[in-house]
This record gives sequence, C-alpha cells and structure tokens, in this order.
Amino acid sequence: MTQYRPQEDLSKRFWVHNLQELRRSASLATKVFIQRDYSDGTICQFQTKFPPELDSRIERQLFEETVKTLNSFYAEAEKIGGSSYLEGCLACATAYFIFLCMETHYEKVLKKISRYIQEQNEKIFAPRGLLLTDPVERGMRVVSFLAVLCEGTELLTSGLPGEDPQK
Amino acid sequence: MPRSPGTRLKPAKYIPVATAAALLVGSSTLFFVFTCPWLTRAVSPAVPVYNGIIFLFVLANFSMATFMDPGVFPRADEDEDKEDDFRAPLYKNVDVRGIQVRMKWCATCHFYRPPRCSHCSVCDNCVEDFDHHCPWVNNCIGRRNYRYFFLFLLSLSAHMVTGKFRGGVNPFTRGCYGNVEHVLCSPLAPRYVVEPPRLPLAARLKPPFLRPELLERAAPLKVKLSDNGLKAGLGRSKSKGSLDRLDEKPLDLGPPLPPKAEASTFGGDLQTPRPSSAESALSVQRTSPPTPAMYKFRPAFPSGPKAPFCGPGEQVPGPDSLTLGEDSIHSLDFASEPSLDLPDYTPGGLHAAYPPSPPLSAADTFSGALRSLSLKAASRRGGDHMALQPLRSEGGAPTPHRSIFAPHALPNRNGSLSYDSLLNPGSPSGHTCPAHPSAGMASYRSPYLHPGAVGDPPRPPPRSFSPVLGPRPREPSPVRYDNLSRTIMASIQERKDREERERLLRSQADSLFGDSGVYDAPSSYSLQQASALSEGPRGPALRYGSRDDLVAGPGFGGARNPALQTSLSSLSSAVSRAPRTSSSSLQADLANNNAPGPRPGSGSHRSPVRQGPPSPPSTPRSPSYAGPKAVAFIHTDLPESPPSLAMQRDHPQLKTPPSKLNGQSPGLARLGPAAGPPGPSASPARHTLVKKVSGVGGTTYEISV
Repeated sequence: MTQYRPQEDLSKRFWVHNLQELRRSASLATKVFIQRDYSDGTICQFQTKFPPELDSRIERQLFEETVKTLNSFYAEAEKIGGSSYLEGCLACATAYFIFLCMETHYEKVLKKISRYIQEQNEKIFAPRGLLLTDPVERGMRVVSFLAVLCEGTELLTSGLPGEDPQK
Repeated sequence: MPRSPGTRLKPAKYIPVATAAALLVGSSTLFFVFTCPWLTRAVSPAVPVYNGIIFLFVLANFSMATFMDPGVFPRADEDEDKEDDFRAPLYKNVDVRGIQVRMKWCATCHFYRPPRCSHCSVCDNCVEDFDHHCPWVNNCIGRRNYRYFFLFLLSLSAHMVTGKFRGGVNPFTRGCYGNVEHVLCSPLAPRYVVEPPRLPLAARLKPPFLRPELLERAAPLKVKLSDNGLKAGLGRSKSKGSLDRLDEKPLDLGPPLPPKAEASTFGGDLQTPRPSSAESALSVQRTSPPTPAMYKFRPAFPSGPKAPFCGPGEQVPGPDSLTLGEDSIHSLDFASEPSLDLPDYTPGGLHAAYPPSPPLSAADTFSGALRSLSLKAASRRGGDHMALQPLRSEGGAPTPHRSIFAPHALPNRNGSLSYDSLLNPGSPSGHTCPAHPSAGMASYRSPYLHPGAVGDPPRPPPRSFSPVLGPRPREPSPVRYDNLSRTIMASIQERKDREERERLLRSQADSLFGDSGVYDAPSSYSLQQASALSEGPRGPALRYGSRDDLVAGPGFGGARNPALQTSLSSLSSAVSRAPRTSSSSLQADLANNNAPGPRPGSGSHRSPVRQGPPSPPSTPRSPSYAGPKAVAFIHTDLPESPPSLAMQRDHPQLKTPPSKLNGQSPGLARLGPAAGPPGPSASPARHTLVKKVSGVGGTTYEISV
C-alpha cells in the first residue's frame, strides 16, 4: 500500500521525536517562551501577545500586565537621561575605576526587575503553577514561563538572597 | 575577552593587541620622558598635564574596549530551541518600525539572532549589536564596549551605525544626535553571561494551582488544598473549565461544529453536580443533551485524578481531545457508564480503578504511551503537535497522517467524533475504552508521579536550564538546506512542478481518452508507444506497462470502452513518457487507479507499475485540459478513497506549488518556480508590492509598499 507508506514513516518519525523530547525534558514542566518585540528597534521589549499555551493557566489581563510592567522596567533601564549621562561622565573622569565600586543604572534596574519577578512569582504565578524566569538569564532574548504540568511535582525556585523561602 | 568554551590559548591572536598596547604605552612613555620636560619649560606646564590626561583617557578606553564583554549572548538552552532546531526555517522575518528585518538562525548558539546581532567566528559567540571584531584590541566590538572603542578611536563620529545600512534604509537609527547620545550616554548594558546562582530558595510551587476559570466561578466551589476528596469536585469543574477551553479552541481553529451549543449547555450542567457522587454523574447524564457532543467531554473525568489542575491545553484535554478526536467510540463507553468516572476520584488515586478496558491491543498501549509523550510536546509547542495516535481499531491510517501535520487538529477530531457517535449511538461493546490511554499514561508516568516523588530532594531550580552556569558545549544545529543554493532549490522546485504537471496531464490524458476526442486508435497508439519505449531507462515499469498493453490490446480488440481506453492510455502514457526524476508513489497510484475499474483482474500488473519508479514524461500531445474534468472522470469511474485521496492531494499541490522543501518556508518554495534563481532577497515572496533595499554588507531589507 504505497499510499500508506508515508504515514508509517511519519508515525515512526513522530515516535522518535517524542523520545528526543522526553530525553531533553528532565522535569515535567513545559516552557512557554515570550519572544522579544523588535517593532521599535533594538530596545528591550517583550511581546504582549498572549500565548495560547497559557490560555487556561492564567488570565489574559494578568499576563499582559506583567509583560507591560517588565517592558516599562526595561525602558526605564535603557532610558537616556540625566542620570545615565552623569554616570558616563563620572566613569570617564575616573578612568572607569568607578565601575569597581558602583553598580550601573541598568544593573540597579535589573535588580528591581528581579525583585518584581520574584514577587510576581510568589503572589500570582506560583499559585497557578507557573513560574516566570528572568530574561536576563537568557540574554534578554526571551521571557520564559515554566508551566508545571502535574500536581504531583513540587517545584522550588530560587529567589534573591535574604528572602524567606517560605511562602 | 570572554572566551568561549573549548578554545585553547592561541598566542598568535595576541600579537596585534600586544603591538597596539606596546605602541601606545611605549610611545607615550618616551614622550613623557624625553620630550615633555623640554615642552614644559618651553611652552607651558600644562602640557604634561593635558597629555597625561589624554593618555590616561586613551589607555582606559583601550583597556575597556579590550577587556569588556561586548554583549555576548549565552547559548540558548536546549529547551528553548527544540522546536526551532529541526523544523524552523533559516530566516525569520520581524518587523522593525515598518521595515522587514530578517533574523537568521544561528546554528552555534541555537537561537534566531536578534536584529543587529551577529556571530563572531573568532570569539565563537553571538554578539549583540555586533560591529566587528577588532584584532587590535582582540575583542569584538559590540553593544557594551562600543563607546569605549569609539572613544578610543574617536574617528567614527559620522558613522554611528553599522556599515550595512550605509546604502539603504536604516530602521535602527535614532537620528544623528540620538545616535551620538545613545552611544555615549546610554546606561551601560549589563552582562548576560552571569555568574552562577547564589540565591536561596524563595518561591515554592505547590499544587493545587489556580486556574482562571476557577477564579471566575468562585462561588460554587471552594478550593480546599488539604482535602483530596474535594479535589474530585474541583477536578470536575476544572475539567469543565477545561471543556470550555476545549470548546473554545475548535471555535478558533476549525470549522464550526454542530455540537458546540450543546457542549456549552452541557458545561453548564456540569456546574451543578456536587462533588464525588455517582448521582451527580447520573444527573449529568440526565441533564445532558442527547447529542453526541456531550460524549466528547466525558473522557475528561478519568484523567482528572491524575491531573485535575492541568490546563486543558496541556495535559488533560490532551488525552481528552485525543480520545475524542480519534475515537468517538471511546467516549461512547463513558456515555454508557458515566458512574465509573467520578467514583474513580479516590484520594491519591492515580486512577486506581478504571473500567476494565476491552483487550488492549499493542497498538493502543503504544498509542497511549505515545500520546502521553506527545502531550508534553503538545503543551510545549503550543498544541500544534497534539498529534493523534491511531486509536481507532479500524484502519484510520489517513487520519493520523492528517492530524499529525494539522496544526489545528481539534476540529477534525470533533467533527469525526460527532458523526461517528451519530452512526453508533450506543454500542460500547467491543470498543477500546479510553481508560487505557490513561492507563497507558499512568504506566508511563508512574516513574515520575509517585507520591514519593513529591518528597524527593527538591528539583534543581529552573536556573539549571539556563546558560548562566557556564555554557555547556552543544552541537551546532543541523545544516539547513533552504536557501543554501537558490539555483538548486529552483531546479528542485521546477522538477516538482513538472512532476505534478505530468500527473495532472496523465489524468487529463485519461479524460482525453474518455472523450475519445483526439485519439483515433488508442490501443494501437499505446501499443506503439509501449513498444517504442519498452527499452526506456525506467525498465521495469516500462516493461510491465508494455506487457500489459500488449495483453490488453488484443484482448479488448476494437472495444472502445472509455474506461479501458483510459487505463490503456494511462499505462501507455506512463510508459511513453521520457524518464524523469522519480516522483511520489501517488503518481503511480494515479496511473494505476485508472486501471482497476475496467480491469479488475489485473491487480498483478498494477502492483509492479506502482512499485517501480513511475516515469512521468510529458505526453506527446500537450493536454491543456482542465483538471477538474479529469478529476470528475476519475472519481466516477474508480474506487473511492485511494484515488480520490490521491487526486485531492495532487490537486491542491498543483494549484499551489508544494509548500515544504526540507523544512523550507513556503515562501522560499514559491520563489523557486517564479524565477530561476530568485533575487538576493530570500524572504518569502509577498503578494503585495515589496521594495527590496540592499545594504552594503549584503543585508537585504524589504519594505512593503
């Protein structure tokens, strides 16, 4: 049956593919990635388009709000303003030794973002079985949501130092 | 200079930077030692101060340019790229301020390079806002150290962006002043390759999890985290919620299906039952509409205890929809025994009790396991691979084929479900129970979902998947053949088109014969052809064909049976065509499917031709007959499904050029037949007017007009 031959191959391919995926996923969580939104150039922005995989896990509103907040944080971090200019001048004047002592404006905002993500995870996402990862871990190319699939697993995440691990 | 893994210390690459540093320091030192004292006396004491400052400035910038991370992107982790690595096209277009920019897949780093990102072969890294690799500082110049480099050089003030844009439109510019400001004054970007995590545990993900539908319907059910008994009720409502979701999906994705309205009402009914009682199930049964639609949601229950809080998009409706789609009969089982579902909600029950399924075939367990595997795939990949395993006991081979490729397979499944249930209203016997897929899943998942698993040492934090712990060396992704050589792709494309055309021609030739318009003596003609071409390179097929023609010709004498003529002509045309590239077996099928009608006893000849590589040369007379005619003719004459399937598959292909070629995007394939070698632009051909602008560096940008 020639016309069924391609289907056999397909099913075999599918089987193999699934094995590969199985091997790769060490945990039972699936990941949803939110890509960067380059429509405004290379500024750091993430797409606010609601991914269909999260359709049942979280409300659209919450998701959009989170991503918009993140975007605003990054915009603030990259903002060219008086403070960044002064920082640059100071650095230049001290032959950049100031970077050994002080953290840059961007890094400060990144810390803020980390704290915000932490908060969001604790308050909003963990009760829904989701986990937002900091984009900085992936080079700011993508925001990933870790969606815990099944009830049986308990996922412990890491947060900022000094925070109480108890929920 | 961040060193990528695996590189050894190569002294040669330090020569330029050493030279530059030596020159810088050496000449300055000489100046200060010898020339400066005289200048101090002769001109002004400010000379050494000024020169000293400048020297310090240059040195500082030089050091920063040399030692600062230019903005290296860490390698993408495996979980991020599993989809892209194998199936995605080489380029991905993104819209930047109205201009289409092409993002290329980086095989080494395993992601699509953001705009203005490039991979440095010297450093073996993708660098953000990559400018160039400067040997004099032995470092890439990227986003983070650009200003230092620039200040160090102080000679690129007019050229604020990369050279690619010199000749064309630059979507990244912020205006001259904006560019200067951005380069010099913007905050220093952070490093992406971060140190290993040092953070203690903070958030804890503990089930049960909230769901939007749950929160919306806060009233009827209370989330009690401790009581497993209530989980059953929760699960049911969640399943209901998941049903709603399931309901929504087909709405979005597929053609409207009749059972939708009933499904929603059914969902409403579900809200009323109290937790875990058989009577609720019965009430559900009572109040449910008597359409087959309700059965589609039933299988949600048995999977409940396993994972009541899993999203419909992920786990629970996975099996549900799978069972739904593939085998309506499964759901019928549940319809007949609804009470079996709910009492299965035993605490901690990994579906402890399931209705004993009829003897599971190996294929079913296999498919069950497959489905459980595929569920993760489905959820991860956004459901587009919610492939359906052939659960049907009957031959449903075409369906899984279809569904595996269909990104939105749900509507198909639902549709088939409803009609099947209509056909078999209430016969549960002899059908595989949907429990076994769950059983399959249970058996599959038991290694992970032991109750003891919860008490296992905490899973490694997600951070372990991130590259921050140090880039793990990864294989470069497989070579992509799309767009490697446009002429090759074009020729492949042309060949494919030719084959399809010939297929169409053959079918049209059959209609030709049917009309008996042009051919006077088809049999003799075909015989001539057969004999003439019996020595063709396609030996086996031709030989078979000619033999058959010789057999058939005298056998049917002067009979002008249109169908016979069709078969003869088809065979002969198949025989007579000059050898071409091998085409799919569909063509052989086409050729052969014309035969079975008139010559039922010639199955033997059919198979060889089919198996032999079919040769679809162009017919001697170029048939320009319409396709539909041939289709109609064939349809009326021949057994139904295989040829019609073949024809259907062919014609869509003929109408639109084949869309996939080595995972190539459709647009690229379309470009093939359009022009021999497509132009420098590799993005899909647009139906709107597109202006292509090339930059100096070879980058092409498309502006849709």
